[in-house]
Amino acid sequence: MITRRIQYELAGRVFGPALLSFEAWQKRLKRRGKKRGPSPFGPPLESVKKLKEVMSLHYLEGRYADGAVPVAWVTSGFPVELLRPLGFHTVYPENHGALCGVQRIVPELSDAAEKEGWSRDLCSYARTDLGSVLLGKTPAGRLPKPDLLACCTNICQTVLYWYRCLADHFRVPLVLLDTPYVYGEARPHHLEYVRDQLGELIEVVEKLTGKRVDMDEIVGIVRKAREGTRLWGECLATARARPAPWTGIDGFFHLAPIVTLRGSEECNAYYRLLLDELGDRVKRGIGGIVDERRRLLWDNLPMWYGVRELSTLLAERGFNFVCTTYTNAWAEAGSRIDPADPMGSAVLAYTHIILNQDLPNRLDIMRRLSKDYSVDGAVLHSDRSCKPYSIGQIDLKERLARELGIRVLILEADHNDQRAWSPEQGNTRLGAFMESFS
Amino acid sequence: MRRAYIEEQKREHGRKAIAVLPVHYPKEILTAMDVLAVEMWGPPGPPRGAEAGRLQTYVCAVARNALAFMASGKADVVDAVLFPHTCDSIQGLATLLPDFGGWNKPALRYLHPKGEARPSSRAFVEKELVSLATDLESVTGRPLDTERLRWAIALHREIDGLKAQLLAGRPRLPMDDGALYALLRRGEYLWPEEHLVELRAARDQLRADPVQTGVPVAITGYVPEPMSIFATLNGAGAFVAADDYAAIGRRVVPQDGPVEGDPFAVLRDRTFAAPPCPTRASDPRIRARHLESLFGRTGVKGVIVHEPKFCEPELFDVPAVKRSAAARGLPLLLLEGELELELSAQTVTRIEAFVEMVSTGRAA
Repeated sequence: MITRRIQYELAGRVFGPALLSFEAWQKRLKRRGKKRGPSPFGPPLESVKKLKEVMSLHYLEGRYADGAVPVAWVTSGFPVELLRPLGFHTVYPENHGALCGVQRIVPELSDAAEKEGWSRDLCSYARTDLGSVLLGKTPAGRLPKPDLLACCTNICQTVLYWYRCLADHFRVPLVLLDTPYVYGEARPHHLEYVRDQLGELIEVVEKLTGKRVDMDEIVGIVRKAREGTRLWGECLATARARPAPWTGIDGFFHLAPIVTLRGSEECNAYYRLLLDELGDRVKRGIGGIVDERRRLLWDNLPMWYGVRELSTLLAERGFNFVCTTYTNAWAEAGSRIDPADPMGSAVLAYTHIILNQDLPNRLDIMRRLSKDYSVDGAVLHSDRSCKPYSIGQIDLKERLARELGIRVLILEADHNDQRAWSPEQGNTRLGAFMESFS
Repeated sequence: MRRAYIEEQKREHGRKAIAVLPVHYPKEILTAMDVLAVEMWGPPGPPRGAEAGRLQTYVCAVARNALAFMASGKADVVDAVLFPHTCDSIQGLATLLPDFGGWNKPALRYLHPKGEARPSSRAFVEKELVSLATDLESVTGRPLDTERLRWAIALHREIDGLKAQLLAGRPRLPMDDGALYALLRRGEYLWPEEHLVELRAARDQLRADPVQTGVPVAITGYVPEPMSIFATLNGAGAFVAADDYAAIGRRVVPQDGPVEGDPFAVLRDRTFAAPPCPTRASDPRIRARHLESLFGRTGVKGVIVHEPKFCEPELFDVPAVKRSAAARGLPLLLLEGELELELSAQTVTRIEAFVEMVSTGRAA
């Protein structure tokens, strides 16, 4: 246990940073003398280096976390602020899934899950994660085994089915925050239910760790979480400028700390750095793409395996995704967090996630984003793997087009499984879509 | 046929009728309020209207068909619709239809908690039951009578008891599977007292000794559609000795709870006493134990998993069901469908081959 703890601490504080510095030095060496070729994108964000460092260290620490500190595997919508004071190392299988998606190893992982009996029609994040667990394969080197699974249904019911399978596999406790879907206004007894569950899950994690949750510490973490989401919201809002200083696709990658490290100082420090850089780019008129002629909204998760190709295709024609409903959700939720009432505000914040609210609310958000970011069009990613996000898009498309007079395209793909994406067909559709603006 | 029946119920008895999406809901409250529940498992077959196109083809046929059916006005005979919180798709449908067009009558929701019983979920379900009763009052225009609710609970307990007897005594029932399932499924729309009479009559047919001579198999899944699956099974020489369909066996609540006291508390207890079901996010380990016990009690020789394509709650549990079957040394056949009106020839062949295999004991 002590050895493990030392390894864990050293990984995060000594070896990790040293290794990353070495890697960075090697990359600089390789790049020396090479000039950046022609690109439709603006100069790369300097913050990316720090982002890689923050996330790499998190995953590197994770390799030594089990046996050193309690480990929780957590859904992205779970109130992680309750786990941080107890010293949990948190792993986000959704974030890890995205990592696998970017590396395009999902088919192999999914095949392992499918062999076990999970259908290819199930969420590709779930298949990725279950396959990764079965094969022990991950681009992160190694994921620590969980002591606890923490699941909140505010993003979908799928995560619960998925985490039940994980609990079955790892034989560890699963804590559930079941958030009733909000039709119109949340009913008082629905909010009471969420509040009661928060109390129950604190009991479970206290028992598991043998520690008491310190409310003062929670207040501090909640304050940091609120600050982090505020900073993230400000980063996103810089894209209201013309040209937008970054692309919505950049935003998908820079989302990782607010998902994975929410409530920590390193998360907030990162977003301060990013915000400074974005603000500076706005002042200097540096765009995320070189020649921004049309501004678009993206709805739903990204296609992790194809974001670069997709954004390049668009950027070459002067199209930039300046806002996305997905990245915005992380700024939106945090606005309800109140350190003066951590539990009460957590109930409201975690119940009122975009995917846990009805379609009129979703349409309102899309209308607002479209206006605030002055978009000319929208691409709605009809995501085979995410039914709660995709149901209603056909009506949303029609309403957005009619009410805002913008062009809207529905693009069918999958957020993680490239086998569900047909690049030729998709690119042709995107080409025709862009053509319609001329 | 259902339309004529609903119209008759409304005309002759002054009842309101409510369309109910799958799966779990407190039917007792509807019965107590003199509301005819008409369940909508699709309906099966091709979508009955162009509005199905408002949902992507990777959404299950239950949700797409229900959207097409309701938005094309084919459910206009009912006074309201109830959406239980079954899955993301039905949850999405519960905002799509009333909020974006296709349904202008009251839309009620019943958000049953997920997972096993906890103090929070027990408290929540009781309040949600009261909340549903209040919502129903606005449809019926009259308050819920507590005594009437007690009567309805007793009525549905008896119905469940009879269903349990028929399912458990399946080998002794001189009836083919198609007839049995048609009887059980008439409860999806009949006034419960009428259904009770039919079930009692069927119970009276139970013999002392087995009369079924086919190979006993277990079947699990969402809803038995197409119903011709039973004719195929029986024709191949098997019969369903163990049922775990969400629409059938998983809604038969064991009769071990108290009936006295606050009826909402009784309903709460009934909610958590129901057999494990993935649509309520039951623990797959508990479900696996339940299934193993069911397979053992009924002596089945094989297991058929019959699921609608894209049904996430059901499909996530398939590996656990496979393990349950394997633990008993039982071969398993996985069938996926899209609420077709008829089984495809390939599916028929697969069923026949499976029955032949379990008949000869080759899999063991």
